[in-house]
Amino acid sequence: MCGQASHLLYLPQSEPHQQDLEEQHLLQISRSGVRVASKVRCKVGYFDSVCGSNLSQKLKLLRWWRCLLTLVLYEGRRLGFGHLLLKRKCREKKMEAHPTVNFMRLLSEESTHSSLSSDSCEYYQTEIFDQLPSIQASRPDQNTQGNWETHQGGPETGESHGHLSRGQKDKASTQPLRNMVMCIQGKRDARDRRKMQISNIGFWESWRRSQSINRKRFWAQMRGALLGLLPWQRTLHAIEGRFGVGVKAYFVFLRYLIYLNLLHCAFIGGFILGPTAFYGRCNSSEPLKFGGNDSVLDFFLGSGYLDRSPVFFGFYTRGSLNLLCLNTPLLYLAGILTILFLSLIMVVRRTIVGYKHTWMLGKRYSMNVSYKIFCGWDFTIQDPASATLKCSFIRNDLKLFLEEQSFSLRKAQRTLGQKARLYLLRFVLNLLVLSLLGGAFYLICFATEWSQSESGHHWLVSLVLQYLPPITITFVNLVLPHIFRKISSFEDYSFTTQVNVTLVRSIFLKLASLGIYLFFFFITIAEHQQCRENKIGREMYKLCIFNFLATFCNAFLLNYPRKLVQEKYPSSLLARLSGKQRFLIPFNVLDLVYSQTVSWVGVFYCPLLPLIGTVTLMAMFYIKKFTVLRCCVAEQRMFRASSSSVLFHFMLLLGLLMASVTIGFNLYQQEVTQNITSSCGPFGNGETVFNVMGVCVDSLPSLAQSTLRYLASEAFALPLILAEVIILTSYVSRGRANQKAIERLKDMLVMSSSDKRFLVKQHATMLRRKKTLTDRVRSAPSEEDANLKPPSTQSHPSVRPVHSQTSA
Amino acid sequence: MGNKQTTFTDEQLEAYQDCTFFTRKEVLRLHGRYRELAPHLVPLDFTNNPDIKVPLTLIVTMPELKENPFRDRIVETFSEDGHGNLSFNDFVDMFSALCETSPRELKTIYAFKIYDFNRDNFICKEDLRKTLNKLTKGELTPEEVTLVCDKAVEEADLDGDSKLSFSDFENMISKAPDFLSNFHIRI
Repeated sequence: MCGQASHLLYLPQSEPHQQDLEEQHLLQISRSGVRVASKVRCKVGYFDSVCGSNLSQKLKLLRWWRCLLTLVLYEGRRLGFGHLLLKRKCREKKMEAHPTVNFMRLLSEESTHSSLSSDSCEYYQTEIFDQLPSIQASRPDQNTQGNWETHQGGPETGESHGHLSRGQKDKASTQPLRNMVMCIQGKRDARDRRKMQISNIGFWESWRRSQSINRKRFWAQMRGALLGLLPWQRTLHAIEGRFGVGVKAYFVFLRYLIYLNLLHCAFIGGFILGPTAFYGRCNSSEPLKFGGNDSVLDFFLGSGYLDRSPVFFGFYTRGSLNLLCLNTPLLYLAGILTILFLSLIMVVRRTIVGYKHTWMLGKRYSMNVSYKIFCGWDFTIQDPASATLKCSFIRNDLKLFLEEQSFSLRKAQRTLGQKARLYLLRFVLNLLVLSLLGGAFYLICFATEWSQSESGHHWLVSLVLQYLPPITITFVNLVLPHIFRKISSFEDYSFTTQVNVTLVRSIFLKLASLGIYLFFFFITIAEHQQCRENKIGREMYKLCIFNFLATFCNAFLLNYPRKLVQEKYPSSLLARLSGKQRFLIPFNVLDLVYSQTVSWVGVFYCPLLPLIGTVTLMAMFYIKKFTVLRCCVAEQRMFRASSSSVLFHFMLLLGLLMASVTIGFNLYQQEVTQNITSSCGPFGNGETVFNVMGVCVDSLPSLAQSTLRYLASEAFALPLILAEVIILTSYVSRGRANQKAIERLKDMLVMSSSDKRFLVKQHATMLRRKKTLTDRVRSAPSEEDANLKPPSTQSHPSVRPVHSQTSA
Repeated sequence: MGNKQTTFTDEQLEAYQDCTFFTRKEVLRLHGRYRELAPHLVPLDFTNNPDIKVPLTLIVTMPELKENPFRDRIVETFSEDGHGNLSFNDFVDMFSALCETSPRELKTIYAFKIYDFNRDNFICKEDLRKTLNKLTKGELTPEEVTLVCDKAVEEADLDGDSKLSFSDFENMISKAPDFLSNFHIRI
């Protein structure tokens, strides 16, 4: 049965009287279409003169579509309605039993198989397609660009040529020549044309232009020179060529940390070392000399000679710089606080720069595969070996993506029983992880307690005892992450999730072990110790030194022999067990972040720790370079680094937080328990931080005093928090509204685009019919009627029509 | 100083300097490279703008282009006759558009032209398939290639025609973090 619904452009084959009605209906519509088109034309002219280019541009497009619509309707009317139908053959192919549904589908998925145009030509090969304004605007070829240059002030060049809005035309004529998309001869002609104009500009303008060109060239040269100055560029380039972008990112991060530590050293030099060097310390301090009881061991233990040296807190006392507000203690505190604050700003900035696009814009915008295809190849590669390597990297990336796809497919197909078993397994494994963590923490506490037992041992035993906590911590941090990695491979996650889960557990392990160690110190350290801050500083120093020693030994005593075994005896049991070495990026980055955290936590008690950190990091660069280039092979499975980098930055922030909490707690304890008279350091002799600051504040003019008092009180903090909450809420809601607007605009774009395709196809179909009809009319007039048969069943899948009327 | 060269007139060199991202010295060096490719074909004296074209097969032997999987398409895009035979102007234009100082918009336009194999101003799935095959040197199976191409189109296509028009491509590239650092040729 033929369909009963009628539509703007689709009409069922029906009886003659109905045909008349439909014809009149169409005529009305087409007339109104013409009227609308003329109205729109007037409006366009009005808007052109009053408003601006964008709106008139949109209205011009609208006018085009309306004109096209009327054209289609007019043609349809002339040809007779039967020929608006599909050819029966085509329809019969798609026959389905849908007796009542006949709406035109205008959604995009349908458009490539649109049942409207019976001919199979692509819509962009039609004649009218080239005349569409959007196509004209996106093809700035030589002629049109030339035209803009010559018709600069003149009237618009009609509808059939490029419809750039006024703003874009202006930009085209002042765009630098180099940026134009033309061959050189075209640019030369444009240049000559501009030269003729330049002579009208005058001396001042041309001088300004040449100055701006020279300035740009100068800045480009400076930037190039600065980039060339960055150290280790060639090494990084070589590493990237052999191992890919991930490993290079590790080394770039290492270099960044070196810069950060250098900056810290500069601050410490300015705020702490400088005043002490110039103004000296107070008279009661001992001179710095290699005394009787000192030995080389002191450099490892941090006692003796080192205890009295500038490395630790106890060295800095109030010297001759003793003004009310400018004295050594305050400068010390200011230096440390500046370092922490600056690190906070830098870490936050790095975090934001890292995930601005990926996180905020949601899943729809994850562009990983398209990036890999279009931006994946490095055009600077000239070496065949690195070309092959790059190929294999890209292939591995794509295989990883395919693997993730198949994993999500598998995940969706899990039955209930499988899911239950999986969750049980995950629960058990998590319990295992927790118990491992608990065991590790207990081990650390035990080691710390044992190391406190000082008694007359042999110097080697005493050295080992002193180093026992750092040894335990480092050992735990080395072994457990690999165990976590093994555990997570049983939990049936996608590869990226596996890496991230392992990272989360390892981060928790490292931070918590450090936290527990510090906590132990603050709680159990004997209160009447001579210089508590020095003791804490000593522990941090030992941690730092031991970390470095462990890396060194790992590289030369583990990695290198392993590689030698692989090379010389590749079929031996040992070689087969250990396998080829790979540079595990997540664990190495985690190590770096951990060492930076230790440096931040310890900087208050051991001001030279950033300097030590700089030296160790530089040494680590070369050690890791040796490991990577000599001992490792390229990793076959890549993981998505962006989500992991979020975790790394988060760990950095947590580390900073731990550092500030430690310092705050220490100062608070000092303040509260007055019987701890710290007899060393800048806050010695019964002073506390708050005393010193109070003295300084009291010396300021009264206005400043009252302002500072107000800022530190609750009456200021509460409104501040409230204001922050309000601002955050407004940003979040604005972001959400923008997101919704983006979704709406995308839907609109899809709809308009499919409207355009529909109309263009319809127009092309009708033109072709007209041609075949006129041919046929000339040749065989009698055949025509044979084709006018009603289609037996209509088979349009239904959904959103523009106008429709159902007649049941 | 080094003004006694007879390859180009001063006026020509200034024109090159204004129309490309190269300085005079670099243009002269480029001329040397161009001449190296076909010394019997390319004259030393360019002052009267000789109409010489070096064929595609010689240009893709340059070390900067030799390992690039898209070398044929790059040369074809910049050649005036569309078959890859470059005159010196085209040669300079190509390296200028792909040099480090070239802006992102220009590179995006040319990247689109390069990846558009059938030159219909759309990157359709067939174009994507060819791009992918060139990129992976045919190491992925056809089903994998289809899957990847479908996903790429799904990610980047904004107006729902299952092809990438220039605005889709531009939108996608504008969010790509390493397009500029990867898409340049140093000469």
